[in-house]
Amino acid sequence: MEMLKHPVSGCITIIVATLVLLAGTPAQAERFELGATSAEADAVVGCLYPMTGRSATYGRDSIAGIKIALDDLAQEAKAGLPAPKLRVIADDPRSKASYAVRLAQDFIANDKAQFFCGIVSSGVAHAVSDLAQREKIIMVGTDHASSRLSIEAGHKYYFRVTNDSWTSMAAGARYLRDLQKQTGWRKLAFIGPDYDYGHVSWTDLQLALSDLGVAYETVGSLWPKLYEPDYSIYINALQSAKPDIVVTALWGGDFIAFIKQAATTRFFETTRLANFDTGANYDVMTALGDQPYPGLILSARHHNNWPDTGRNKRFVTQFHEMTGRFPTYAAEGAYTGIIAIARAIEKAGGANDDAALIKALEGLQLALPEDPPGFASYIDPDTHQIVQAQAVGTVVHNEDFPPSKLMVGNWAIYDAEDLKPSKEMVKRRRDAVAGGSEAVPPPTP
Amino acid sequence: MTSLLAVLIDGSIYASWLFLVAAGLTVIYGVMRILNMAHGSFYAIGAYSAASLVGWYFNNGIGPAWISYLLLVGAALVAGLIVGVIVERGLLRLMYGRDEILMVIITYALLLILEDTMKIVWGVSPYFAYQPYTELGRTAFGLLKVSNYDLALVGVSAVLGLGLWAWLERTNQGKVLRAVIHDREIAVAMGVNVRLMFTITFVLGTTLGALAGALTAPAISVVPGIGIEVIVLAFAVVVIGGLGSIGGAAVGALLVGLSRAAAVHYAPEFELFVIYGVMSLVLAFRPEGLFGRTMARKI
Repeated sequence: MEMLKHPVSGCITIIVATLVLLAGTPAQAERFELGATSAEADAVVGCLYPMTGRSATYGRDSIAGIKIALDDLAQEAKAGLPAPKLRVIADDPRSKASYAVRLAQDFIANDKAQFFCGIVSSGVAHAVSDLAQREKIIMVGTDHASSRLSIEAGHKYYFRVTNDSWTSMAAGARYLRDLQKQTGWRKLAFIGPDYDYGHVSWTDLQLALSDLGVAYETVGSLWPKLYEPDYSIYINALQSAKPDIVVTALWGGDFIAFIKQAATTRFFETTRLANFDTGANYDVMTALGDQPYPGLILSARHHNNWPDTGRNKRFVTQFHEMTGRFPTYAAEGAYTGIIAIARAIEKAGGANDDAALIKALEGLQLALPEDPPGFASYIDPDTHQIVQAQAVGTVVHNEDFPPSKLMVGNWAIYDAEDLKPSKEMVKRRRDAVAGGSEAVPPPTP
Repeated sequence: MTSLLAVLIDGSIYASWLFLVAAGLTVIYGVMRILNMAHGSFYAIGAYSAASLVGWYFNNGIGPAWISYLLLVGAALVAGLIVGVIVERGLLRLMYGRDEILMVIITYALLLILEDTMKIVWGVSPYFAYQPYTELGRTAFGLLKVSNYDLALVGVSAVLGLGLWAWLERTNQGKVLRAVIHDREIAVAMGVNVRLMFTITFVLGTTLGALAGALTAPAISVVPGIGIEVIVLAFAVVVIGGLGSIGGAAVGALLVGLSRAAAVHYAPEFELFVIYGVMSLVLAFRPEGLFGRTMARKI
């Protein structure tokens, strides 16, 4: 009634209310239903990917990756191969563990899902992995990378088909070892997001360097919160510590922001910056513009320009034709997840026997776009973590994947077998948890 | 020694940024008794407006770099004025006289609405507008090279603080405003147009918030959620200083800024703890904040 006495205020209120109503619609998360109908599907897969917020690009690319996998399976079926018909449902967990668990429960109750897949955040993946164990549902993880999920918190229903933080840091440690021989670097600093993935990445790097016997001095470890908009204070702290190399586990927009802000200082004149897990992702390459900052050492879980194989070129081309843009690594991760589930169903002779499916996934070989010639990725039967080669390199001009003007080149390739965690290390980490301590015995560099 | 100097410089820069954000919040509370949760959104709107305008300016190669500083301030003033008037006239005016807690809930709802609206308008990808930051170059303090833009931010913050103080203490309008702060009912009885004063105060507060966002935009990546992060820190600052006190906000910002810088340099694991540890300590000994005044409740 008060509003009616003030026509101007009333009009403004109505405008604001209309804007709010308009705003509400597209902000809602979108549920995707892909592949076979529920009547004809051999199995139902419930996937969780971010469709909104800062990681939405990874969700969109994952959906495209799933579509490519389903197309490939449909082609195989047409050719008379025993490819299963999959129904894939994808929803947005909004980076919240509790919400993700509720969605996953709905996948089981309402959609009769037999598999979970996806999840970008390691924290959210932990919660869903626990649910998978309780509900005896196989979870095929993609793109969350904390090695804790497959080592300390691993269980028989959990599998991961993209590089974890151990794989990336093991490759990074080898790169740093080789670089030390050339440059004699000694001082190392680390900056990572202040949650599970960041801390596990730092532990993994220290353990991997220790395993290789690399001598170094840690001059700092910094923990900005996830999605920190202003890194200036951390950049100043790093410069004060005078490291020869800074290794970071910042990812996505955070890593881009860090680079952009560091570039306004003398950071790149005095220090190398390495990101071995996510740094070479396509969105980072695009955001660098035409500035190949000196001292950047990067890798990622999939590269559009490596390996130079027909399989990789075909995947990147298919993605580009489907979406009009080039993929981030999330696309190949989601593609791998669906292909892995399909191959397990083929091998197990159906999707109804959990024990047979788990047996089929353990040791399963997958020829993937990111596999170099002569190698096929496989799932380690002990950790349930995929075993893959990794390429690390530096930034070079390359305009083959526009709008990016830079890509990673000068590759150093590390064999998959070398990047597997040793059985002794896996046992030590699992024993540390079983013995009531989360702390892994400190490395001795 | 370099480290101590770095703490002092980083702390001062961070404190000046905190003060810019907290000033608008504390002015609005001091006059209107509204704990404005949506203040973080005004900061974010200022940052997005400035980053968009400056980005557009440089992407189109329109003119000299110094104009970009005018665009930063201009974007903040326009965004602050428009949003401030719409929110005050269209929403808060309908709610005056309600309980303070209800106003907190209303402004919190507004924060959520504005956060989603910003996602619709600007999307979810980061915005970068680094040119004004890099154009000013750097100054050496021994081994430390400090951005001149950051140093300028300290100056702007100091000028703004003094300006606010002078306006409140040395102008007729400031005196009227202080009369409203002191006793709203008597001010009305003496013929003061309190509603107009509320509009002026709220628009001033939103413009200060937007200005803080616009001036910060060249130094950060402008992303969804920055407003929510900022409002938590701004509350810590004004609670330490005392709600409604400009001087208190300045001291609170300095305390938080220096403590955080020291933590990042000497004990990074305690960075977040330190900020709220300082707040807890102050509240334990002075619940009304360092410069807050205990007020008798009118019945």
